[in-house]
Amino acid sequence: MKVTIRSWTGVATWRWVANDDNCGICRMAFDGCCPDCKLPGDDCPLVWGQCSHCFHIHCIMKWLNSQQVQHLCPMCRQEWKFKE
Amino acid sequence: MSLKPRRVDFNEKWVGLQETVKGVITLGNVPRETWNACFSDVYILCVAYPEPYADKLYLETKYFLDNHVKALLEKVRANGEANLLKCYHKAWVEYSTGIGYLHRLYLYLNQQHIKKQKLSDAEIMYGSIGPDVQEQMEIGELGLDIWKRNMVEPLKENLVNLLLEGIHYDRLGEASPNITDIIRGVINSFVSVEKYKRKGKLELYEEIFETPFLQASGEYYKREASKLLQECNVSQYMERVIQRLEEETFRSNKFLHFSSFVKVKARCEQHMVADHLAFLHGECKSMVQEERCKDLSNMYTLLRSMRDGIGVLITELSEHIRAQGLETVRGLKGDNVHIQFVENMLAVHKKYRELIQEVFNGDQSFIGALDKACTFVVNHRPNPKMVCRSPEMLAKYCDSLLKKSSKGISESEIDEKLAQSITIFKYIDDKDVFQKFYARMLAKRLIHSQSQSMDAEEAMINRLKQACGYEFTNKLHRMFTDMSVSSDLNNKFNNFLKLDNIDLGISFCIYILQAGAWPLGQNLLTPFTVPQELEKSVQMFENFYHNHFNGRKLTWLHHLCQAELKLSYLKKPYQITMQTFQMAILLMFEKTDSLTCKEVQESLQLNSEQFGKHLTSLIESKILLSDTESQTPETVLTLNLEYNNKRTKFRITAALQRDSPQEVEQTLSAVDEDRKLYLQAAIVRVMKSRKVLRHNALIQEVLSQSKVTFAPSISMIKKCIEALIDKQYIERTPNSADEYSYVA
Repeated sequence: MKVTIRSWTGVATWRWVANDDNCGICRMAFDGCCPDCKLPGDDCPLVWGQCSHCFHIHCIMKWLNSQQVQHLCPMCRQEWKFKE
Repeated sequence: MSLKPRRVDFNEKWVGLQETVKGVITLGNVPRETWNACFSDVYILCVAYPEPYADKLYLETKYFLDNHVKALLEKVRANGEANLLKCYHKAWVEYSTGIGYLHRLYLYLNQQHIKKQKLSDAEIMYGSIGPDVQEQMEIGELGLDIWKRNMVEPLKENLVNLLLEGIHYDRLGEASPNITDIIRGVINSFVSVEKYKRKGKLELYEEIFETPFLQASGEYYKREASKLLQECNVSQYMERVIQRLEEETFRSNKFLHFSSFVKVKARCEQHMVADHLAFLHGECKSMVQEERCKDLSNMYTLLRSMRDGIGVLITELSEHIRAQGLETVRGLKGDNVHIQFVENMLAVHKKYRELIQEVFNGDQSFIGALDKACTFVVNHRPNPKMVCRSPEMLAKYCDSLLKKSSKGISESEIDEKLAQSITIFKYIDDKDVFQKFYARMLAKRLIHSQSQSMDAEEAMINRLKQACGYEFTNKLHRMFTDMSVSSDLNNKFNNFLKLDNIDLGISFCIYILQAGAWPLGQNLLTPFTVPQELEKSVQMFENFYHNHFNGRKLTWLHHLCQAELKLSYLKKPYQITMQTFQMAILLMFEKTDSLTCKEVQESLQLNSEQFGKHLTSLIESKILLSDTESQTPETVLTLNLEYNNKRTKFRITAALQRDSPQEVEQTLSAVDEDRKLYLQAAIVRVMKSRKVLRHNALIQEVLSQSKVTFAPSISMIKKCIEALIDKQYIERTPNSADEYSYVA
């Protein structure tokens, strides 16, 4: 071996990949944050349901808390379960 | 002795009493028994049966005092004009003391008889009692009143003339010391003689003495001022005036009632300063320009209390600082322009800050002038078409302090300098430009681990936060958070590798950054084939990351990645730190010693710009040899097997990390974009709350909102309004040309 790599320092950025650009509840971009937050990123994460729909966690929690009987996905009306 | 009222002969008692009264008033020798007897006599007369003699006693006493004072007046007059003050004073001292005793002798009369018929405050204020109603006065008051009428009134003109003359001699420094007491005593007598009055206590003093005194003082100082002006230059003049004012202060303490002090001072200042304001103002300019501290200090003392006095001085100073500032930052040259700029500016600021503290007593209006001048200098653009370079230079200055390379300065010194740079920061209008540059430099420092100390970095960000608020620094804070999140992630990844017994063969470290928070040019991204040697590690990490963080996509910023390589094909082993692209190029030569440019670029998939840049750096450092001067696709690259360097451990990245002019350009255009968004947001906010607003009012509102971070140009605001009309956030109202309404 003429040249060996001893160490490598990598730099990468991350962004959300969702099946939609905007949150179906607040209509804000997933790259941004929900209306109650100031900064996007770790503080305002996204969650996926088993129905594969995706929302800001703050938005879907607000929605679920307002539902008295059954927890349904606001997009497809299936029962809402968090995807692990 | 019985206290019972009884029949008494008034005349008989009065003859005895009168003798004692005379003794008391002339401070003669009155034995205690006599005093006691008379004290009871007063009582007996007041309660006499069948008719009390109180009123009669009062009248007789009044009559007696009347005559006594008249006699004193004759005596005082008889001693001639020259001795008038002295004799008056002597008589007054005796009489005023005596009347004090007499007042006590007539205690019963005062307490029981006179007080009862006195008018209350309310009656005096609101009652319908005419001024001619004669009320009886307590004996002490009566005595003073009689003195006033029989002594002061006839003598007042002579007395006041003599007093003024005495004070005049005192001003000239020719007064004999023993006359001081007399003058003060006499002046005091004008006050004391009316001290019992419930209102207008100082009327007599003001009328007979103070008014002519002020008149005379005024004239004296008028003459004095014009005399001084002829004799001396402005410095001497001011010194003399200040001296005069001090003397006059001392004098009024010495002679006058304290209420006069303010009036005398005002009169003095009127004639010596205010009347010659134009002259003094005319001298300000040269004084400021030559920075004659003593003169300036005197000038400040004199002008401070004048109306409109100090404005000229402030303007002159502000202009002077402005000129000095411009002078010191003009025509800076060399590599460290930013350091010179900031430090020269700080020196100017410090110098004048100290001057103001010392000379102008730290007066706020002067500090304001300093701020104004510094703001002008810092935001000055030599060429109005160019952008102001100050924000960039200040950011660079901070960068040079926070970078590892700044040698020979202690940590506390760096801290000090950073703290001072905030001073300049506050003067910058375009704080958003500074923020952009600062963020970019901070990003580089963090990613290339070039920071001197994290504590210093954080302290600096906190300072910026203090100066400009949370909004301003939150991106900077998030960069810090990402760094610590990344180091956690690295640990987790390494643990994961250990658990699964995977050896990557290299030491692997990674920074995972939030896309929005870092000012990393996405346009520098280029297609790139990761070299085989790295692929496994990168793949491992991506898998690891996706297992941990669902729904996130990683984008590698290879132009920011670094590698440490070991070269073992040369005589000595070398350890070189370089960027990933350089590494990738070098790794191509594993199997062969020469390749053409085209081959290398095609297999790496790099774009030409990045490829060219990194290839050049390798050729310049002589690790690769090129067979032509400039590289074309056909150029043959050969590994330099004769490479030799004294140092066996070094980096060849430095040249690439420097700011290119394009980067500066990009930063500035990014600022422009941000500003447009900021302004549009501001306009929408304003319009949302006001619904309908005229053009000018809207512009004003937007200007005041954006003042904290930058000073937008009117044309930019107009463009933003146009953009919002296009986007149908707002519209022009139909009936007015320059009015907008909010479209919900």
